[in-house]
Amino acid sequence: MTIVDAQTAPFSSLPKRRDPVLIGLWISLVIVAIIWLAPIVFITFTAMKSNPEVLNSAAFAPPEKIVWENFTKAWVKGNFNETFVNSTVITFIKVPLGLLISAMAAYALAQIQMGWNKFLLIFVLFGAMIPFQVMLAPLFTLVNSLSLIDTYPGVILPYLAFGVPYQVFILHGFFKAIPKELTEAALIDGASHVTIFRRIFLPVSLPVLAALLILDFVATWNEFAMALVLLQDKHMWTLPLGLMSFQGQFSDNYGQLNAAIVMTVLPATIVYLIFQRYFVSGLTSGAVKG
Amino acid sequence: MNFRRSLISSVAGICLMSGAAHAENLTVWSLNYSSDAQVSALDASVVAFEKTHPDVNVEFVKRGTDEHKTALRVASGSDTGPDVYVLWAGLGLGGEYVQAGLSTDLTPYFEKYGWADRLTVPSQAFVEAFADGKHGMPYRFSGEAVYYNMDLFKKAGIDSEPQTYEELKAAAVKLKEAGIAAFTFGGTVNWHVMRLMDVLLETTCGVEKHDALMSMEADWATEPCAVEAFTEMKWWADDYILAPFMGIDHKQAATLWYAERAAMMLEGDWMVNAINESTDISKYGIFPFPTGTDRLYGFAEYMYISTKAKNKELAAEFLDMFSSTEFQTQIVGAFGALSVNKSVKLSDDALDLHKQWIEIFDNAGGTFVNGDQAFPLDVTTEYFRVINELASNNMDPQTAADTMAKFIASNR
Amino acid sequence: MFKLNLFQSARSQALILLIPAFGVYTLFAIWPLIDVVILSFQEWNGISADRKWVGWENYNYIFNNDPVFWVSLKNTVIWTILSIVFPPLVGLLLAIGLNQKLFGRASLRAIYYLPVIIAPIAVATMWRWMYDPFFGLFTQILTDMGLGFLARDWLGDRNIALYSMFVAYVWQHVGFSMVLFLAGLQGVQSTLIDAARIDGASRFEIFRYVTLPALSPTITIVLVLSTISSLRAFDIVYGMTGGGPAQSTQMLAMWAFTQSMQIFDFGRGSAVSVVLLVITLAIVIPYMRWSQAREEAVK
Repeated sequence: MTIVDAQTAPFSSLPKRRDPVLIGLWISLVIVAIIWLAPIVFITFTAMKSNPEVLNSAAFAPPEKIVWENFTKAWVKGNFNETFVNSTVITFIKVPLGLLISAMAAYALAQIQMGWNKFLLIFVLFGAMIPFQVMLAPLFTLVNSLSLIDTYPGVILPYLAFGVPYQVFILHGFFKAIPKELTEAALIDGASHVTIFRRIFLPVSLPVLAALLILDFVATWNEFAMALVLLQDKHMWTLPLGLMSFQGQFSDNYGQLNAAIVMTVLPATIVYLIFQRYFVSGLTSGAVKG
Repeated sequence: MNFRRSLISSVAGICLMSGAAHAENLTVWSLNYSSDAQVSALDASVVAFEKTHPDVNVEFVKRGTDEHKTALRVASGSDTGPDVYVLWAGLGLGGEYVQAGLSTDLTPYFEKYGWADRLTVPSQAFVEAFADGKHGMPYRFSGEAVYYNMDLFKKAGIDSEPQTYEELKAAAVKLKEAGIAAFTFGGTVNWHVMRLMDVLLETTCGVEKHDALMSMEADWATEPCAVEAFTEMKWWADDYILAPFMGIDHKQAATLWYAERAAMMLEGDWMVNAINESTDISKYGIFPFPTGTDRLYGFAEYMYISTKAKNKELAAEFLDMFSSTEFQTQIVGAFGALSVNKSVKLSDDALDLHKQWIEIFDNAGGTFVNGDQAFPLDVTTEYFRVINELASNNMDPQTAADTMAKFIASNR
Repeated sequence: MFKLNLFQSARSQALILLIPAFGVYTLFAIWPLIDVVILSFQEWNGISADRKWVGWENYNYIFNNDPVFWVSLKNTVIWTILSIVFPPLVGLLLAIGLNQKLFGRASLRAIYYLPVIIAPIAVATMWRWMYDPFFGLFTQILTDMGLGFLARDWLGDRNIALYSMFVAYVWQHVGFSMVLFLAGLQGVQSTLIDAARIDGASRFEIFRYVTLPALSPTITIVLVLSTISSLRAFDIVYGMTGGGPAQSTQMLAMWAFTQSMQIFDFGRGSAVSVVLLVITLAIVIPYMRWSQAREEAVK
C-alpha cells in the first residue's frame, strides 16, 4: 500500500536512485504474472505431448517431440470442422447486427425526445443486470414453440436480445454527450434522423463501436449456457459445446483433450492480442465513466 | 396455434422437398456410441435397409446421452421428430415416453413378425411394463459383471474366482494386504459408482425386496436390507476402492485399471472390445458379481416407433430387419456379447471373454436393472446424491436409507 | 401544421430505430423472464401438452423437501461473498502496482487480463485437468516437492471442491476488476497527490485519504458487477464438477438448470430460478437507484 506516491517519482526519471519499493513491486508483479501464465503454459505443453509422456514427464517439461497429431486428431474427433463454422457464422452475423440495432436504438433514445426515453432506458438497462441463466428453461420453450431449436436464428435472436442492453447503455451515454444542436441544425437542413444517424453519429462513434465489437466478439464466441440449451443437434454445435462433449468422451486422452482446449481458445486469444487496447476502453467507457 | 401449425408444416414441407430424390424418408434417432464397432453396426443397418428398400432414404441421427434426451423433449412438443427412436427401456427414460403416449403400440407387429419368439427373454422385460400393449423392440441387452486382472489376483494369493459375497470381500482384503486396491470407479459420472450400490442391494435384499425397493413400493427406511446394503457400500468405499475416486470419471478409472492400480472393475459386456483394443486381453477374467441370487445385472435398449411416425409399416420393417437373424449375425459382438436374437451365436474365433459372457447370460435366471433405469429421473438424481454422500463419508447408512425414504415419500 | 408533421415524423423515425432492438429484447429477454415466473407456479414435464397450475407447490417443495436447494443457496452465498472479496482485492493491488511507470507494464497488464477472454467452459476444462488427482498439475507439483501427502482429490472432496473451483474463478476474473480499477486510478488527479506529498503525507496516508476516496465510485461499480457475475456462475460449475460430488458444489443457476433441463421438472426448476432472480433484484434495484442519483448529482 506504500507505493502510491511513487507515481510522482517514476524511476525512469531518476535513473541513479531507483526506488527499492518500486523494484520490489516490479519483482512481485512479475512473479504473479508467471503464476498467471503457468496454467496456459501447462495446457499448451500437454497439448503437444503423447499420452505416455503426459503421464511420465514433469508438468512443466517442454515436450520432447511435438506431437502435432494431437491437434489433427482432436480436430477430427471433436468435429471442429462443423463447430468452427457454426461459431463463425453465429458470431459474424450476431455481432455486427447486434451492434447496428443497439446503435439505432441508442441514437433514438439519446437524440429524439419522445417523453418516455428515460423509462425505455431503465427498461433496457434492467436487462443488463438480470442473469439470463435463470431463464434458460423458458427460453428453451419459447424457441422450441417457434420451431427454431437447432437453427442459427434460434440462437442468434436470443444472443441479440441479451446483447442489446449493455450496448444500448454504453452507446446511449456516448450519443448523449454529442450536443443536441448538431442534430437540430441538421434537421432544419432537412436531413432525416436516419440520415443523421448514418452520416454523423456512426462515423464519430467508430472507436466506441470498435471496442464494443471486439468485446461482443469474444462474449459471443465464448457463450456456452444458451447454446447448450438451444442447440441440441451436434451438427449445429458451437466450439464451447464441442469442447464440453470432447471432454466427456475423451477425458482419458490428455494430449488430445488439451489440444482441443488450445484450439477452442486460440481464436479469441488472437483477437485479444491484436485488439488489446479496445478491450480496456470498451470495458471502462461504460462501467466507470457512465 | 394454427399459425404455428402452418409454419411447422411449411417448414416440414421444405424439408421433404429437399429430400425429394428419394420417395420416402425414415428418420432414426439414437445414442452416440463411443466404440467404432457400434457406430459401424448402426451405419450398416442403414446400408442393409436401403438395399432392400431402394426408394427409402434412412437418416440415422446419433447424439450424446443428454442431447438425445433433450432432443426427444423438443420433438415431443412439436410435429417434427423421428420415426424411430432409441432409448434405454427403464421407467425414467423409455418408460416415461411410453407413459406420455409417444410410443406406438407394437402389438400388431410383434404378431406379424413373431418378434416375441425371436428375441431373448431378458431383453423383453420392459415391453409391457409401462402401458397397455407392447412398446419398443429390444435391440440390445447388456450385462454388467466384474472384470479382474489375473496377475494381480495371483500376486495377492487369490487362486479362484469368488463364488460368494463373503469370498469377494475376503479377496478384497487380501488385495489390500498386498497393496492393491480392489476396485476402481469414477465418481464424476454418478452412474458408475451406482453400479456397486445396485449389486449390493441385490446381495443384501434378495430378489423380491430388491425389486420392491426399486419400484418404490417398499419403504427404504424400514427395510433393514437397505441399510445393510448402504453399510456394505461404505465398507467398500472406505477402504477397497482406489482412492481418490470422486474426482475422476469412468474413463480415467479404466485407465488406472489398465495401469494395474486396481484389480477389479464392474463393467458391461461391451467393455470386452475396448479392452481388446487397449491391451493384452488374455490377462483378464470375468465373473458375475456374487449377489447370491442367480439374476444378471444389466439393462436394455429399445427401438420405439414414434406415434408421429409418418409411415409406421415402414418403421416396423426397419425394426424387423434390425432384429433379423441375418442382420444380427452380421453385427454380432458389436453391442456386447449377446445378441437380442436367440438364434444368433458367436463364431468360434470370438474372444474368450465374449464366450465367457455367453455362459454368464445362459446361467442367469433373470435380470435386474441399473438404478438409473429403474427410477424416475428425480429419484435417480437423489439416489446418486445419497450414494455419493455415503461414499464421501458424509452420511451414515441409516441416514442414507432414511433420506431415500423421505425423498420418495415427497415425490409426486 | 408543419411542426406537427415534423413531430410525427420524428416519432415514427424513432420507432423505426427503436423497434428492432426493443422487439427482440422484449420477446427473447423480457418474455422468458415473465414466463419463468409463470412456470414456477405450474407443473410441467416438457412432454405433455398442457402446463398444470399448482399454486405455491413448487416453492413449498424446494423450501421444504428439496435436499439440494438449501445447499445450492448456501453455496451461492459463499461464492458471492468470496467473489466480492478476492477478485476485487487482488485486482486492486495489481492495478495500484501497474499504475506505476514500470518496465513492461503493458505486457504485465495483458497477461493478467488474458484469462478474462478465455471461454469459461474452456477455463473449466483446463482446470479440471490441472486438478486431476492422479496426473494433474497440482498433484504433480506437490509430489515433486515431496509434499505428496498434501495432494487432495481437488474436485472430488466435498470439503474443498467449491474452493478449488473458486481458485479457477479468481484466476479468470481478477483481470476484469484490475482493468476497471486501472481506469479509476487514471481519474485520481495527480495534483491532489502532489499536494498531499508536499504537505508531508506518508504513502499510506495518501492512499487512505486521497486515492481511496477518489476510487470509491469505481469500488462500488466493481463490487456490484462482481456480485452480479458471481450469481451467474454456471459455465464453470457445469464444466468442472457438474454440481458434484454429491451435489455439494451446486449453485442456484446450475440447480435450476438441472431441475428444468435434466430432470425435466420445469416447475421446480423455475421456482429455483425465481429465487435467484429475487436475490439479484435485491442487489440490482438499489444499485440502479444509486447510479441514477449519482448521475443527477453530476448534472
